[in-house]
Amino acid sequence: MSSVTINGKEYPIDVAPDMPLLWFLRDRLELTGTKFGCGSGLCGACTVHIDGTATRSCVMPISAVAGRSITTIEGLSENGDHPVQKAWLKHQVPQCGYCQAGQIMNAASFLANNKQPSEQDIEAAMQGNICRCGTYQRIKLAIADAADELAKEV
Amino acid sequence: MEHAIQNPARRTFIKASALVGGGLALGVSLPSMAHQHLGSDFNPSAFIHLYKNGDVVLFCGRCEMGQGISTALPAAVADEMEADWSRVTVKQGEGNAEKYGPQATGGSASIVTMYEPMRQAGATAKLMLIAAAAKVWRVSAEECEASNHVVIHTPSQKTLGYGELAELAAVQEVVEAPTLKDKSQFKYIGKALPRHDQSMVVVGERTYGVDTKVPGMRYAAIVHCPVLGGKLKSLDDTDARAVAGVIDVVTIPRLDVPFGSVGGVAVVADNSWTAQKAVKALVVEWESGPNGNYDTKAYRAQLIANVEKPAEKVAERGDLTAAFETAEHKVSATYTGGHLCHAPMEPNASVVWVKDGSAEVWASTQSPEDIQNVLGDYLGIEPKDVYVHVMMSGGAFGRKFKCDYVQEAAAISKHINAPVQLIWTREEDMRTGYYHSINAQHIEASMDADGNVTGWLHRAAFPSISSLFNPALERAPANSLGEIENHPFGIANLRSETGEAPAHTRIGWYRAVYAIFYGFAYGSIADELAHKAGMDTVTFLHKLYDNNKNPEHKEQVARSKAVLQLAADKAGFGRKLPPGEGIGIAVHHSFRSYVAMAVHVRVTGDKIEVLNVDCAVDCGQVLNKDGATAQQEGAVVMGMSLSLYTEIVFKNGAVVNSNFHDYPVLRINEMPNVRVHFVDSDYPPTGLGEPGVAPFPAALTNAIFAASGTRHRDLPIKPMAI
Repeated sequence: MSSVTINGKEYPIDVAPDMPLLWFLRDRLELTGTKFGCGSGLCGACTVHIDGTATRSCVMPISAVAGRSITTIEGLSENGDHPVQKAWLKHQVPQCGYCQAGQIMNAASFLANNKQPSEQDIEAAMQGNICRCGTYQRIKLAIADAADELAKEV
Repeated sequence: MEHAIQNPARRTFIKASALVGGGLALGVSLPSMAHQHLGSDFNPSAFIHLYKNGDVVLFCGRCEMGQGISTALPAAVADEMEADWSRVTVKQGEGNAEKYGPQATGGSASIVTMYEPMRQAGATAKLMLIAAAAKVWRVSAEECEASNHVVIHTPSQKTLGYGELAELAAVQEVVEAPTLKDKSQFKYIGKALPRHDQSMVVVGERTYGVDTKVPGMRYAAIVHCPVLGGKLKSLDDTDARAVAGVIDVVTIPRLDVPFGSVGGVAVVADNSWTAQKAVKALVVEWESGPNGNYDTKAYRAQLIANVEKPAEKVAERGDLTAAFETAEHKVSATYTGGHLCHAPMEPNASVVWVKDGSAEVWASTQSPEDIQNVLGDYLGIEPKDVYVHVMMSGGAFGRKFKCDYVQEAAAISKHINAPVQLIWTREEDMRTGYYHSINAQHIEASMDADGNVTGWLHRAAFPSISSLFNPALERAPANSLGEIENHPFGIANLRSETGEAPAHTRIGWYRAVYAIFYGFAYGSIADELAHKAGMDTVTFLHKLYDNNKNPEHKEQVARSKAVLQLAADKAGFGRKLPPGEGIGIAVHHSFRSYVAMAVHVRVTGDKIEVLNVDCAVDCGQVLNKDGATAQQEGAVVMGMSLSLYTEIVFKNGAVVNSNFHDYPVLRINEMPNVRVHFVDSDYPPTGLGEPGVAPFPAALTNAIFAASGTRHRDLPIKPMAI
């Protein structure tokens, strides 16, 4: 049986091969931090990292990630202290918070590849993540802050 | 041991008792619960628990959906209690109106209802802790004060911590009519407080209704009857049942109550994905029923026709005919808007476990009481035997006030005799809503030579929320147009009329409700009148408010004018702007709060960029400044979505939209710079969830007019062709 690594731990893929990664996480492993929003890759609430790259887990069949390494919001950092998470707290970004795991995962992956993003870069990178409460202004500020913090770490 | 007092002036009732294992528990009964005051049902565990180790747990009875009430109200308790906020944990109360007072969370009413009782509870707890310390020290309570989780004996500077005093405090007398703090003494109220649950959100540990897991739970998905009033014609579930992991297929008939299911077919499986996949394999045919011809394009045209001819009178004052005859200027315009669906990021979801004579529910909800009542009726059990775990909602905006999705889960659980989680797909969420009213308003206004508005004819036509409760209604009832006669504009001669507008779908509360379209019409026509009179809109609006001589409107006029001027000043209204840019302004008073917005846009051809939004807000005493600011930022985003893009379209009786590609809510790349300015107000606090949405659409369209000369009167401005 093939397997997949999630937050550093290996799990056998013991479900239908077409089950999206999202539902493997939520229903099989009961890791519910990754959210269901649209089921069609349109809203970004289900964003996780596959080998470090932000991906919409609701449209990614589990069979396609066999042998690969997945990071979810629960595994982004040891103590909730990833610079993006810290910036989210500093700017008090979440309102209902439901989309924020996806926002944070998308932002973390983006910043790993763009150390000095402009405002336009941030907007372009985050355009796939919907927030219905309307926290976009704070998301932009938090990402800019996190970028500064990450620059210091290097 | 229990003690009780009643404060007859406010009829608030506070009751204290000892916690199991030692500590103080304090509950409050609200005026609306007066009949239960001395009954044995009154459970004093509500609201405040102080443990021997000093930990404080504060319960929030109102439902949290992101609006921040579960921080704002407990902070008011902690402030009066002199508790250290860092020692406070907030827990969501279960559905129990006897314990927590009214829990139906809507109408921006939480703060209005709960602010005073919460402060009284906190102040009472503080006095009981002081009384306990005084007893230990054998001194007079007057020599003691409380601050930051300790009681201090002022002359000797001895201190005792709240934890040490908890047990003794529980047996002190409940102090009658505690004195509340003066504004100048507030520690948390009015400050920018971090939300209590943010650290859980950023690590994915905040659990929402959709995240509920119960041992033995099954998973369900559903497809609904697409037309209101339609029914199942045929069903072939052979292929669906053949999907590996499918447990059952359950037909759910329409439950003909306002918050009941429209009818559907559900598939039960061992996980959500399998259930969703199998629903797609159902072969279902529906009979459309009486609403099968509903077409929103044709309906909107009909509404326009209905407001551009005489309709049924609602209210009248002065002599409108004479005012129109002697007018120097007349302006008339018709404004429209489409249906909206709430589309919270968390689709409708709940877990229901129907047992023998009772039911247990885990739901994202705005109204646990309605769940108890609807399920009680449906299952033939007492509402109190429906236990509701109120879960955090991943957004709601009015949708989760209605518990059709919970009733469906109950129907499935009853059928399979097991707990079941029903999650609606986004498509079902969008197509099975309680939509904001499609609407048309026609206003004819007259002015004298000095730009004073002398007459106002206002016809509105929209399927109203009342139609949910009385589907036979042909038009919105008079109370849905109360806004018009009570609007704080000073207009001596006025007539309001309601045009024919029968409902062909379910209509429901949507963030800001009717204030969305009233705000749009009032804010737009004020701008059109100002241009006609040759005045700037701010000066014109001041004059329009100043002309209101109704003494009962004095406060409304003053507060409206204050936010108007604040927004204008902050935005620099009237300053010279580059070509293609403009600032528009609008004011609206709704849900007891006052909001003015100045929107600064740049228009290049078809492209509309919103650059800045200055929001001026008077919501009385602000509770959590950061939370209140966030509500305004969010209101701007929702206002932009509905002004520019979002509309639910019906054809052949059914919703055409299906997901975020054809219901294009605002994304981050269009986010303007939002600045929020609060009036330093001594008025009692009023709500903020909704009022911010109301002035945005008109402020935007006024700005577009200023920038480009194009006047938009139909929302959304850029509808999708679907």
